[in-house]
Amino acid sequence: MTDNRHGSARIEFPSELEVLITREFDAPIALVFDVLTKPEHVSKWGATPPDQMTECSIDLRVGGKYHYSFVTEDGTVCSFSGTYLEVEPPFRTAETWLFGGWPDAEAVETWQLHETDGVTTVTMRLAFRDKAGRDHYPTRPRDTGEMSSSGGFLDSLDAMEDILRSLLDLTGTVSE
Amino acid sequence: MARASTTSDVFNAIAEVSRREILDALMAGEKAVGAIVDDLSMSQPQVSKHLRVLSEVGLVKCRAQGRHRLYSLEPARLRPLHDWLAQYEQMWNERLDRIDDYLKELQKRESSSDG
Repeated sequence: MTDNRHGSARIEFPSELEVLITREFDAPIALVFDVLTKPEHVSKWGATPPDQMTECSIDLRVGGKYHYSFVTEDGTVCSFSGTYLEVEPPFRTAETWLFGGWPDAEAVETWQLHETDGVTTVTMRLAFRDKAGRDHYPTRPRDTGEMSSSGGFLDSLDAMEDILRSLLDLTGTVSE
Repeated sequence: MARASTTSDVFNAIAEVSRREILDALMAGEKAVGAIVDDLSMSQPQVSKHLRVLSEVGLVKCRAQGRHRLYSLEPARLRPLHDWLAQYEQMWNERLDRIDDYLKELQKRESSSDG
């Protein structure tokens, strides 16, 4: 029995265009699915305080659209939107993913859930379509705010994963 | 993830795949330019050019041994990248922890209304 799973998310970079996040929850799959897909729930956890959720609409059916946005303390608006490609409650959704800050970084986000002995495992895979964002990374201003350089972001993560994992194993000097 | 401007050079340095390959090659230990050229399908001028960039941001250091210049990694310089990745992991963890807390709250509410 795990009292607290805080901080237990696992983050992997299976390829240079993908991010994979896995997390377990001590709750039945149907409830977890609802919490991930119903606006009345998403609006409760969707923004990290002091950020405030300003929009949360979800039309959960194939072809339906979703739109979340939140505003940060300094007034920056972050907007995420897309269209559902697959909806299979309570196991899976796949949807296009567009982030206002990365206008040319199209991705498909896939959520998969499965339950074993009352524990629901959720995996979220974000797969970017191509390297369009990253191709112009070096010319993009680096200080325009959070997550603004899409390609560089992924590229650096790939590089970091490879390099850091090996170096951490090898030398132990990066970690503390 | 806003990046600290002081780390941007390191980010740029590893954004180039050839330079990551050189870092990989140096993981096995200190090497001369010629040995790196042998390891990778790159010309000596290319390797030298990338080594110069890596040296400038401090990811590799160089020492002279006789006629050779030997290059080795400075892994501590990857610390800013490590911190940045940690920040990204933290963002996701915070988000998923909020979902976790919210689920617990819902389940508590549900069980108390049942009983």
